[in-house]
Amino acid sequence: MTAPTPQKDQVAPDARIDDRAAIRGTAASTAPTILSIEDLWVEYKTPFGWMQAVRGVNLDVRQGEAVALIGESGSGKSTMGFALLRMLVRSARIAKGKAMYRDSKGQTYDLFSMDNKAFRKIRWEECAMTFQAAQNSLNPVMRVKDTFWETAKAHGRRNRKEVEERTLELLRMVQLDPKRVFDAYPHELSGGMRQRVSIALSLLLEPQLIILDEPTTALDILTQRAIIDVIRNLRDQLDFTMIFISHDLSLAAELADRVATMYAGEIVEYGPVRDTFYSPKHPYTVGLLNAVPPIVGEEFTPLTAIPGSTPNLLKVPSGCPFHPRCPYHTEICLREDPPLIDVGGTHLAACHHHDKVTKDQDIWERMEDVAEVVG
Amino acid sequence: MTEPVMSLKNLVREFDTRGGLITAVDNVSFDLNQGDILCLVGESGSGKTTVARMAAGLLKPTRGQVLYEGKDINEMSKDEFSRYRKSVQIIHQDPYASLNPIHTIGDMLRAPLLKHKIVKNRREATKRAAELLELVDCRPVENFIDKYPHQLSGGQRQRISVARAMTLNPRVIIADEAVSMVDVSIRVSLLNTMLKLRNELGVTFLFITHDLAVVKYFAWEGNVGVMYVGKLIEHGRTPQLIGRSLHPYTRALAAAIPEADPDLTRSKEKLQLRSLDIPNLNNLPSGCVFHPRCPYWEKGLCDTVVPPLVDVGNGREVACHPVVRSIQNGGTGRDLEPTGDMGVDRAAD
Repeated sequence: MTAPTPQKDQVAPDARIDDRAAIRGTAASTAPTILSIEDLWVEYKTPFGWMQAVRGVNLDVRQGEAVALIGESGSGKSTMGFALLRMLVRSARIAKGKAMYRDSKGQTYDLFSMDNKAFRKIRWEECAMTFQAAQNSLNPVMRVKDTFWETAKAHGRRNRKEVEERTLELLRMVQLDPKRVFDAYPHELSGGMRQRVSIALSLLLEPQLIILDEPTTALDILTQRAIIDVIRNLRDQLDFTMIFISHDLSLAAELADRVATMYAGEIVEYGPVRDTFYSPKHPYTVGLLNAVPPIVGEEFTPLTAIPGSTPNLLKVPSGCPFHPRCPYHTEICLREDPPLIDVGGTHLAACHHHDKVTKDQDIWERMEDVAEVVG
Repeated sequence: MTEPVMSLKNLVREFDTRGGLITAVDNVSFDLNQGDILCLVGESGSGKTTVARMAAGLLKPTRGQVLYEGKDINEMSKDEFSRYRKSVQIIHQDPYASLNPIHTIGDMLRAPLLKHKIVKNRREATKRAAELLELVDCRPVENFIDKYPHQLSGGQRQRISVARAMTLNPRVIIADEAVSMVDVSIRVSLLNTMLKLRNELGVTFLFITHDLAVVKYFAWEGNVGVMYVGKLIEHGRTPQLIGRSLHPYTRALAAAIPEADPDLTRSKEKLQLRSLDIPNLNNLPSGCVFHPRCPYWEKGLCDTVVPPLVDVGNGREVACHPVVRSIQNGGTGRDLEPTGDMGVDRAAD
């Protein structure tokens, strides 16, 4: 099933973008699914046995959408990104699961069962990634222009002049001064500039899907803003699909069409960005939202903390992994891990009590006495 | 008027680098009264940590003074200095690096109590350690006191750092990015714990952070100082400073921060800067250090005359020529017109 590709030359570009942007990431969206992750389990080998970092994740990503994977450290969000590009460290393995991917030619295959040689063509040409701490992901002894050329060459491009022109164009697109950056070594660039070079590099082979791992973490506020604006402009111009991984809810509010909240290796909520922020259906998402103070305005907003701490993945609590910290939990939550179900309008939640969950803070205040669980 | 617990007077700190002498902190002054909260905000390289280290006595200023109870800490007698050291404690950013991995939590809390003879014997020390753990909400205490740092999470370790800072009943706690490495869900409870120390025990806080959201929450009843490449450029009560910031740099920061609200954050008014580049400390711009990025700069004034920090009333201070002039002419200080000369090429906008 293929949706007709928009006829780029017939409609004024702005109108086209506005129409699509309005329904992008909502229940009304008709964009085809290009990535469908089915029951993904990823484990790391530790001295104490296999530690499950991703536990039975199902996730559909539609063409052209920006999906935010939100979670705290240890929630499995980065592991998922690396698993998709098959770049997990040696001590990790995909224990189970499929990632059905529909490439730009309309063919569908499982990313995890392909042989390495076939996958090497997918990686970067179909799906590319920018890494957390971009300062360390560029080769320090290679000039920016050579990094781009080597990447293109590894994928069979032979015309150096063409690649260089594309490089210059991309550098301009990420708001860098091509003259200054093209011949530079990574150490001559600031953190924000390197992050933008990384983003440009991920776009080099015109991939359909881009995974951004913590694109603004560890950057100064004004630099973060520049990166956000660059990403937004690039999406408007190039129309790629994007999965970005972040611990920062505000970034999801800025850039995402859909938000997936991860907790203890599971996706606990997945829905259109406005639904997730304005009527969250999982208590963990509510807790995260209550913990982020708004900046604008001259009112003081009291904040409530989520009690307890994130679970040790070697000893994940029984039933719903969030139940020890959850003010809504009842007896069933200790026994059964709730499945991720549609609670209306492509808004999915994994909570036995999703119909009772509100943004109300009072229920959390009464939880304050929960003892911290020491792992 | 009671005497401030701590005063920083015209602090300057220079570092000798390969690229020449740089001024990391340039003429920073402020007072801390008992029970005050002062947040210093700034981006990397703004000198905020250097100020904290000088206030904590870990670094000597090149010029200027750090006064504790009216006395310069670098001219104190041995006894006075030891008293200052006990009364001013620091909490570091990284809870993974700041706790000794081979000591239990109990040992860490008992050692200073015994060393400074705050308690008579080990049994009393253990009792006091348990009280401190209670104080920082590490309950039940038995789950913590015999543990090693590696058995605790980042948030729990940071609580231990707070407890350790409290062992000697300090008057001042200097917290250097104390919550920046802690997960969102834990951050609020850690801030609440520190606020409790201030509200119930009257501890004074000098809190260093780069996060305006944390400032707004933690220092709501206190003050904020905004630093930019070594200078204090704006200072005032938190609600006013965050809500109606005056200095173009502070305004740009407040406008740039994404909010956790999709409609709000996507419609927020942005302040377009002329350049993204933070000036190099080896080669600072003339006049106001912010002028190469400022949309409101005035040729012939901002690029030649360094703006002093001027008191503009209501306990607010700001170092900006156009803002001060606007206020002196009865304006709000926020009614500036962009100069129009964006000057720097912003390719492919």
